[in-house]
Amino acid sequence: MGFSLIWYLKEFGRTAWIKKFLFAKTAPLTTPSYFRGFPEPTGRICQHALFCMMACPAPGAIEVVHVGKGWMPRIHKGHCIRCGLCVEACPHGVLKSGRILETMEREGTSLVFSFRVVIDPVLCTGCGNCCTSCPVNKVADAQMGAGGHSSNDEVIMKVQAGDVVVIHEEKCTGCKTCEGACPTNAIRIARILEGTQQTVHEGPP
Amino acid sequence: MTILQRIKNKVRARSIHVAYVDVGSCNGCDIEVLACLAPRYDIEQYGIFVHNNPREADVLLVIGAYTPGWEEKLAMVWEKIPDPKAAVAIGNCPISGCVFNRRETFIDPPVRKHIPIAAEVPGCPPRPTEILQAILSVRDSVFANWEAEHP
Repeated sequence: MGFSLIWYLKEFGRTAWIKKFLFAKTAPLTTPSYFRGFPEPTGRICQHALFCMMACPAPGAIEVVHVGKGWMPRIHKGHCIRCGLCVEACPHGVLKSGRILETMEREGTSLVFSFRVVIDPVLCTGCGNCCTSCPVNKVADAQMGAGGHSSNDEVIMKVQAGDVVVIHEEKCTGCKTCEGACPTNAIRIARILEGTQQTVHEGPP
Repeated sequence: MTILQRIKNKVRARSIHVAYVDVGSCNGCDIEVLACLAPRYDIEQYGIFVHNNPREADVLLVIGAYTPGWEEKLAMVWEKIPDPKAAVAIGNCPISGCVFNRRETFIDPPVRKHIPIAAEVPGCPPRPTEILQAILSVRDSVFANWEAEHP
């Protein structure tokens, strides 16, 4: 019984054991549908609001590019950290990821953007490149010259007595053109993201 | 191809030794590599053994955004690994520097500038299944028929 060679061969030659020994034991794990993956298009039309690029915390992770005649956000893998903020920030629901959109709809949440213009007075040379490069300034005061001087008070910032003065911070759209134009890295645009939630009525109204 | 060679290829592809090197990460991806070792994902059932000794390794997992302290050391680690070998970049940091790639930081991504990278796993951090899949795909392409391709 337990002493013959044939018994041992039978005992250790079981297919189940050999299978367990040679092949992977657990079934390949599948990612559940509610996990946040890289954001995917829902099929709605992108209106070029660019809130996704403003909300994105990872540098170079999302770009809104021309696709055919319209615009479409493009996610760069290797930069994207799958936080889902672009999905939440989009006012038109162009992207989806996991169940973020469903949760937002159920709980009535949304994101509000504001921007703060911070200028380091030590680094700033008062050259006015930021004021000249700003596209909002261009609309507000088309006459603004290379020095960044302006007689108009509707601009975001202008040069007064050799210093850049921020007048209308609330007009900033967060494009960060000024950051690229500054020769001394003195100007920074801080993004302030506020989450809001509507009052949810529970039970019968 | 002789039968012996066939057996050799099969066995080699099913016994991978892995070393991982952290070139300045936030430890998020290290935790995910660690999760591969845990019973839920269980990397050893695929014949992958995390040994962490480059002289015995086949696959090098590179984690992190390449800080200046690694400038000569990473290439040294890579040279110590005997052929056939492959390096897999885990996470966003070795690919792009992720959120650390900003002004006034000292990191120098991507890591593929410094050592040849066979596969990159994007994600911050990538899921253990994705890491596992990358190692398995590298295994098939690099180790399956190595001696015939490099006589």
